[in-house]
Amino acid sequence: MSKQFQFKLVLLGESAVGKSSLVLRFVKDQFDDYRESTIGAAFLTQTVTLEDQTTVKFEIWDTAGQERYKSLAPMYYRNANCAVVVYDITQSTSLDKAKTWIRELQRQADPNIVIALCGNKTDLAARRQVSQEEAQKYAEEEGLMWGETSAKTGEGVSEIFTAIAKKLPLTAPAPKTTARGAPGSSGRGVDLNKQPTAGQNDACNC
Amino acid sequence: MRSTLTHDTDPLQLIRRRLGKSKSLHDSLSGRASPDGSESPELLQRERSIRTNRRQKFINCLLQEDINMPELRKLAWQGIPDELRPIVWPLLLGHMPSISGLRSSTLKRKREEYASLVEVTFARDRQLDQQIWHQIEIDVPRTRPGVRLWMHACTQRSLERILYVWAIRHPASGYVQGINDLATPFFQVFLSAYVDSEAEDFDPTILPPSVLNAIEADSYFCLSRLLDGIQDNYIAGQPGIHRSVKRMAELVARIDPPLAAHLASQNVEFMQFAFRWMNCLLMREISVRNTIRMWDTYLAEGADAFSQFHLYVCSAFLVKWSEKLRQMDFQGIIMFLQSLPTQSWTDHDIEMLLSEAFVLSSTWHNAQSHFSGR
Ligand SMILES: Nc1nc2c(ncn2[C@@H]2O[C@H](COP(=O)(O)OP(=O)(O)OP(=O)(O)O)[C@@H](O)[C@H]2O)c(=O)[nH]1
Ligand SMILES: [Mg+2]
Repeated sequence: MSKQFQFKLVLLGESAVGKSSLVLRFVKDQFDDYRESTIGAAFLTQTVTLEDQTTVKFEIWDTAGQERYKSLAPMYYRNANCAVVVYDITQSTSLDKAKTWIRELQRQADPNIVIALCGNKTDLAARRQVSQEEAQKYAEEEGLMWGETSAKTGEGVSEIFTAIAKKLPLTAPAPKTTARGAPGSSGRGVDLNKQPTAGQNDACNC
Repeated sequence: MRSTLTHDTDPLQLIRRRLGKSKSLHDSLSGRASPDGSESPELLQRERSIRTNRRQKFINCLLQEDINMPELRKLAWQGIPDELRPIVWPLLLGHMPSISGLRSSTLKRKREEYASLVEVTFARDRQLDQQIWHQIEIDVPRTRPGVRLWMHACTQRSLERILYVWAIRHPASGYVQGINDLATPFFQVFLSAYVDSEAEDFDPTILPPSVLNAIEADSYFCLSRLLDGIQDNYIAGQPGIHRSVKRMAELVARIDPPLAAHLASQNVEFMQFAFRWMNCLLMREISVRNTIRMWDTYLAEGADAFSQFHLYVCSAFLVKWSEKLRQMDFQGIIMFLQSLPTQSWTDHDIEMLLSEAFVLSSTWHNAQSHFSGR
């Protein structure tokens, strides 16, 4: 019987880098040129199935990017198992903002949190301001996963989420909790079937 | 779908077109002296006989030389007829004086004042505040996406100017996302004075610039008045919102203990859904039409309604779904609350909500300030 896991994921990053667009692509395989800005945060879920039929359900908090909302973020990353920190490859300042979020996560979030740095809007490569080398080098130094995506074309989107799923501790089921994705609860990698788990260590290099 | 246009930039003149042909009626409303000095009582009489009672009460109230504001508020609480709203809102917000003789000159002066504010703010030799401007630039195309009125370049430029001028003049808050939403009802309501078709589908480029400028200026001043009452929502740390959400949670615990207990058992925090309810005054939860009706009552309630009364409205709004919510788990609750089935809500639904909120506020207002130590 296949194993099912459930993880909390938080999206962080400057306003308009495409966090909501990225989740919409991942969850509904859709894209809108114009969507309302996020206020507070939006909650979505999506399940990915890995090659060995293990399923990983992501409970996603898509947060608001404007600086003024910064004080709300801890409520959403407090119990997150993984974070996707997004920047826009056509805006170099958005990478600075992403670095600020990463430092905050390293200080304040769960020490085992899996962090992926994600450069979005690769379809706008002609206006690129952040090189792959620069971002990748920073990610390596900080021990983060890294990938580039286009929410518009869909390029790289499922790859980055699948890579995160593989990187999560599927080998070490946490004690079963009744957590239903509530930030106040502590659901890490709950093995819903309480099966002995097989090794799953092929960390991503997307 | 041709719209009747007018080149008159005075919103009061809509009365001229919509409420009858009586010269003295519109002259006294727009604060202009009737040129021949006649009062034409038969016309007024006829006018009266064909209008509904309530609308007539409004008109009578608006026709006073010095409008009885408590009376106007009382009428407005129950909802303002669409065609009178462009006059009543500026009156209730104090943008337009209650004394009819002062109206034209005041509006003219304020519109000039706004024009010069825009000129100074966007003067060529003046640096824009890049952070504020950037946020406004990325939010304006994301404001009411899909609604035709807001897809036109000219409405988007108007909105940019309104938001930027306001932000620069309010450095403690600057521009905060959500304020863009709050500007749109004003623009649509004031636009409706000049067009007969649905404002949301209207192509504003066919309006003369003087009309657009007047709509923009009036929207700016009325938005400023509204925001004056909720500044705390948008300054650093957003203490106004935190306070309102906390009070809302306390109130719900008293008026619907089973719901409060269920939310707590599912680890749902009020902040996770009610933050947006406060930040955007429920505009992301209900239609603009519903919002406009809601604001009739808020404006009638007075300056602090957008923080105080709103909290009772939000509580009544949540409790409305109590039975459903109590069957749901965390995920169900959060997903339900972020896409509520309010699409088909009519004025009647909003009026029900407002009266429930009114009952709550009368019952709990003093008690609340008591138990929250304020
Ligand atoms: N060309 C292109 N545009 C994108 C892409 N992803 C997002 N966008 C656009 O960027 C704008 C902002 O996208 P959102 O997804 O709303 O950004 P966000 O990060 O959620 O913004 P906040 O909610 O304000 O924090 C929208 O106009 C999107 O259409 C992409 O991959 N390519
Ligand atoms: Mg967003």
